[in-house]
Amino acid sequence: MGPAARPAHPPPTVLALLPQLLLTGITVGSIYALGALGFVLIYSVTGILNFAQGEFSMLSALVCATLLAWHLPLGLAACGAITAVCLVGALTERLAIQPAFGGAPLTLLIITFGVSMAFRGLALMVWGADPYTLPEFTPGPPLVLLGGVLVRQAIWAIGLSGAVVVGLFAFFTRTVPGAAVRACADNAFASRLVGISPRQMSLLAFTLSAGLGAVAGLVITPITGATYDMGLALGLKGFVAAVIGGLGNAPAAVVGGYLVGVIEALTSGYLSPGYGTAITFLVLLIVLFLQREGLLHGAQRRHA
Amino acid sequence: MRRDHLGLLVLVAAVAGLPFVVSTAYALTVLNIIGLYAIVTLGLILLGCSGQISLGQAAFYGLGAYTSALLSRDLGWNPWLAIPVAIAAVSAAAYLVGLPTLRLAEHFFVLATLGFGIIVNVLMLQMVSVTGGGNGLRDIPALTIAGVRLVTDRQVYYLIWALVFGTLVLARNITAHRTGRALRAILGSEIAAAALGVEVPRYKMQVFVLSAAYAALAGALYAHYIRFISPSPFSLYASLFFLIMAVVGGLTNIWGGLFGAAAVTVLDQMIRAQLPRVFPRVGGEYQTAIYGILLVLIMIFFPRGIVRGALDVRHTLIRPFAPGRGADTEPAEEGRA
Repeated sequence: MGPAARPAHPPPTVLALLPQLLLTGITVGSIYALGALGFVLIYSVTGILNFAQGEFSMLSALVCATLLAWHLPLGLAACGAITAVCLVGALTERLAIQPAFGGAPLTLLIITFGVSMAFRGLALMVWGADPYTLPEFTPGPPLVLLGGVLVRQAIWAIGLSGAVVVGLFAFFTRTVPGAAVRACADNAFASRLVGISPRQMSLLAFTLSAGLGAVAGLVITPITGATYDMGLALGLKGFVAAVIGGLGNAPAAVVGGYLVGVIEALTSGYLSPGYGTAITFLVLLIVLFLQREGLLHGAQRRHA
Repeated sequence: MRRDHLGLLVLVAAVAGLPFVVSTAYALTVLNIIGLYAIVTLGLILLGCSGQISLGQAAFYGLGAYTSALLSRDLGWNPWLAIPVAIAAVSAAAYLVGLPTLRLAEHFFVLATLGFGIIVNVLMLQMVSVTGGGNGLRDIPALTIAGVRLVTDRQVYYLIWALVFGTLVLARNITAHRTGRALRAILGSEIAAAALGVEVPRYKMQVFVLSAAYAALAGALYAHYIRFISPSPFSLYASLFFLIMAVVGGLTNIWGGLFGAAAVTVLDQMIRAQLPRVFPRVGGEYQTAIYGILLVLIMIFFPRGIVRGALDVRHTLIRPFAPGRGADTEPAEEGRA
């Protein structure tokens, strides 16, 4: 299930396989890191776990494929797809989240599941079940690195997700809107007192998260292809990464993303590709058990 | 209470008479499936009464089906013995899952059940030597009563619906008495309930194990009724489907469970029949779009279910200036956020 470029012929020894698996894991992990950041962003601002996060990646990949089919250049199509998905994120917040704002956390959680199902079904109606693909950003032969093979697109994935992460941190630490988002995440009531609207911040968080998901979808599609149902797996892996990172901690979520990618690649390589997903969720359960005091504490603070 | 009993009697009579009115095999199959889903949904609603939801119900449903099927098919057990053993095994599994997860804040519990559900589904697919993998298990023995094998839809119909009413009455009795009051207190506020002496972890665990047992019962019945199982009906989508049924019925409304299971199953059949005419080129799970939008709309406009929502709307229409629609009946639920 893991969207990973696996070697066609496994090398003979266990150790010889390792560099390849690590490279694959880091590539996929960079995508999970973006998804995890989207989760953390929305969760820290609104307290909502947004299960539609992976659908943003799916939508951007399929929109971009359609724009390419209309003979737009790749750069323009990619920008168009990201813009469109940001709009979708904003609309989701206004139409589905905002009317239930302040409701029970479970109500909002169920709503995001509903949104995710709606996008998946609508994408199936629009694009059908066939897989789409995007061209590599810079076509060329794969690179050989530390005994493993790295497709050029993987460098784009790692580099772009790194750049987006750095840009996001700059936004949060160096700009006024970024500070407003952090203030809202820290204490929504107090930020209202100083004139920050939590509802506007919620809109901003959803828009930005949709953008993060869109970039992830565009970068990974040349490697894995894109189908209408890719969002669920991507979103859940990003979610596991976010939980590993503690859900409120953006840098830890990024590390969590790489960790999930590497764990998945190692399981798929050494155990069986089919078990990759199961191991990922086993890690989720273990992390939930180990962290439960901390997580519970965070959740209660939010309620207070 | 009296009105409740009368309603139950009318419903039992209607269900008992239904096979004489509709007799096509298709209609009876749909009614049987509604019965099985109703049992699972009732379990989810019991869980909802304590302010929790689970996205692992399809896994318990599937574990019940696989356990009973394997015991009776591969070990030659009588299905009547295999079913209770499967229910006990699944309840034990739920206990083990609940032990560390029930202490998590409510939405982390949901995610733990989701993770559990995905792991179970992967294992069903991957442990080919035991479960048959994607090909599933064939030739599961049918149930027999007094030497008669229950193979037709009509024979199974009465068994399934008798169990639906059994589980319904059990759920109603639980919620109407001491445990029900404790659950409502937990739903209102876990801290306040604990302060009043309610053993919150114990009640949450009991209701979670019971909901898993309900799902396992339905799953085991499914296995011996259809006599073929594969991993696909027990995926995360099925868990979401059960959640929709519970949400349509109202997450804390026992009677709503029956309504939710019936309404969503009938809707599902109608969509499957009609949608290909509108969108001829799509196949597969296109109906998820409709369910997704339905789920969002219900949660926004009728977070307490269609039945209660419709009553509230009528209430508001008749007495538009009455304070707080329906707030007098279940004040606990509003304060949950």
